[in-house]
Amino acid sequence: MASDSNRTHDADSTGKSGQVDDRRDEALRRIVDRTPTRLGVGRAGPRPTTASLLELRADHGLARDAVHSRVDETLVDDLELVKLRTQVADTDQYLARPDLGRELADESLETLRAECAHAPDVQIIVSDGLSSTAVEANVPELLAVLRDGLADRDIDVGTPVFVEYGRVDVMDAIGEELEADCCVNLVGERPGLRTAESLSAYLVYGPERGLPTAKKSVISNIHDGGLPPVEAGAELVDLVAEMLEREASGIDLRDDDREFTT
Amino acid sequence: MADARRTLTSIGVDVGTTTTHAIVSRLRVETPPGGAASPKITDREIVHRGTVRETPLLDSETIDVDRVAAFVDRELEATGVTADEIDTGAVIVTGETARRANAEPLVHRLAADSGQFVAAVAGASLEAVLAGRGSGAATRAAEAGGLVANVDVGGGTTNVAIFDGRDSARDRTGPGSDGVAVRETRCLDVGGRLVTFDDRRRVISVSPPARTLVEALELPIARGESPPADALDDLAAAMADRIVDLCAGPPFDDLTRALAIGPLPDESLEFDGVVFSGGVGRLVASPPDDPFAYGDLGGSLAAALADHAVVRSWPVLEPAEDIRATVVGAGTETTTLSGRTVSLEPSTLPLRNVPVAAVPDVSNCSDAALEGRFEAGVSRLLERHDPDEVDAVALSIDDVGPLAYDRLRAVGDALVPALESLSPSLPMVVVTRQNCAKVLGQVLRRRTDRPLLVLDELVVGDGDYLDVGEPMPGGESVPVVVKTLAFGE
Repeated sequence: MASDSNRTHDADSTGKSGQVDDRRDEALRRIVDRTPTRLGVGRAGPRPTTASLLELRADHGLARDAVHSRVDETLVDDLELVKLRTQVADTDQYLARPDLGRELADESLETLRAECAHAPDVQIIVSDGLSSTAVEANVPELLAVLRDGLADRDIDVGTPVFVEYGRVDVMDAIGEELEADCCVNLVGERPGLRTAESLSAYLVYGPERGLPTAKKSVISNIHDGGLPPVEAGAELVDLVAEMLEREASGIDLRDDDREFTT
Repeated sequence: MADARRTLTSIGVDVGTTTTHAIVSRLRVETPPGGAASPKITDREIVHRGTVRETPLLDSETIDVDRVAAFVDRELEATGVTADEIDTGAVIVTGETARRANAEPLVHRLAADSGQFVAAVAGASLEAVLAGRGSGAATRAAEAGGLVANVDVGGGTTNVAIFDGRDSARDRTGPGSDGVAVRETRCLDVGGRLVTFDDRRRVISVSPPARTLVEALELPIARGESPPADALDDLAAAMADRIVDLCAGPPFDDLTRALAIGPLPDESLEFDGVVFSGGVGRLVASPPDDPFAYGDLGGSLAAALADHAVVRSWPVLEPAEDIRATVVGAGTETTTLSGRTVSLEPSTLPLRNVPVAAVPDVSNCSDAALEGRFEAGVSRLLERHDPDEVDAVALSIDDVGPLAYDRLRAVGDALVPALESLSPSLPMVVVTRQNCAKVLGQVLRRRTDRPLLVLDELVVGDGDYLDVGEPMPGGESVPVVVKTLAFGE
């Protein structure tokens, strides 16, 4: 992760007086402190310093790991999720063929039909997406709050599932197969160089294959430095309840009178 | 889902020692996109600046409530809005007016009559902060990244608020605020109206704080007489000395201590900027040629401040608002918005004048010790307030500890039994600074049926009061005023 300790200010800066230097340093420090972005890291000639180059590569390594590693099997078992897989064979194919990540493999379709409750109020799906790290970091806390909150409102969650190599829209296929009223898909987001732990929750009412993105709702930026996973769980409870009550999701759920043209 | 943008119409009314004024402003509320963001007030536009009028008194102890109410009506008429269209705002009694016998019923009546959700507010320290936010001192502190003092010199009191715009101070502010922390306030019974004159320059009145100074300096100033000019200059200079001492100390002179309102700090500070506001404060930049222009000591006090060697050494900055600083602060800076909010009983809103007890150091308190902490908070509320006479009571937990489900469940397990000494129908408000209102609400709802409201992303101190409005249309955030109600300090 980007840390402040390795940041060095431009060694070339010379001021006419110490006071000007102090004020400039103070102003730069305030800018640097305000964002985790790599600002004010200095340079060595035309190139980044060794320290910031190494840090960049380390963060990039974390991001790559988040994409390439798989979610821990024991976690999936502990969360009592039914294991499914899309038609994707490996990570390279996952990245190259988004269409295959939206459809379940044949044997997983059979598992789904055999092991999952039919026609739940809401089908809960956990997908590794582009960050298994995000799933491992956020889903245990989020899911516990979500399950309790939905149970409090007598909303039936059916049999929650885990999808390996899942894309957002795999919820359309799963929801359609199970005839769920709506779906929540917790997906690991594309990692950045700042955090590899960001999770998003996508929701759809009346899932069916091919439903456009505009019909979907999202709560994004779920991680410890963003929306805390426990609070996201409770927010999802409210959003699911609202979707079921209004029988809508995505832009159909908006109250304002903005018009969308396609 | 909430609209990205909406507007609140806000009123500010300041009933001061000398003058009364009202402003109407529009506050723009925006919700940044994305799951983690809460709505914020992003812009404040003053649409009507009312006339500055003399505060009407029936006698030296009583404010003429009907005439003050008529002033406010006239300002609303001039703006072209009705009280029904006013969403929020604050009515504040300031300076010596806060000590008048009928100050308390006055603000509550004006607040109730002036709009949907207008807060009644009183207290020198809050007055200092509002003046400094209204004068632009807080903004200056943020821009400079340093310490800026706002010195609001009015008719009855001088209220100093010190704003800390350094990054190190940011943690002390709520996420919903503009990020400028109030370092401290310092208040003093010194103002321009402490001595008044008739048109022949005879003394009509000398209020008690002025009498303290007159006696200490043995000055020949008494009611009904025309004091010599040098005696008045000496008194004005002594008042200016007290104001300078208030800002520069500690150490503090005994006379400053005698005239101070509330506690004085024990650390002296170096300011990166000083802003003068208030009816007298605005005259410091250019004192009037005729010191008697206002029939009181205001002109002389401003001149004495302007000539003061220490004031001349200060980095004095221009205010954005001067005489109206407090009313602008009251009208534009009192309302904040909570984070996305759980309301377990929306019908209980709005709640007014809800007393707050802060539960300290919850973040590092073991699960087992939580219940004792919460019980102590509830007992403090019961010591200070009769539960039959309040709309609700509030506990401010600030930081519950790590935002983990187990921890929140432990908080719920401890909090619910701690509330048992309160009537089950008395609404309870729980306030935290973290973003966890919905999950804490869910946890508490599983454990109790009592009317309950959880507000997050707010910083509220012990002894403060809260007003909580109805949820923003279409949104899940509620307008909140965090305030004090200190009359007769």
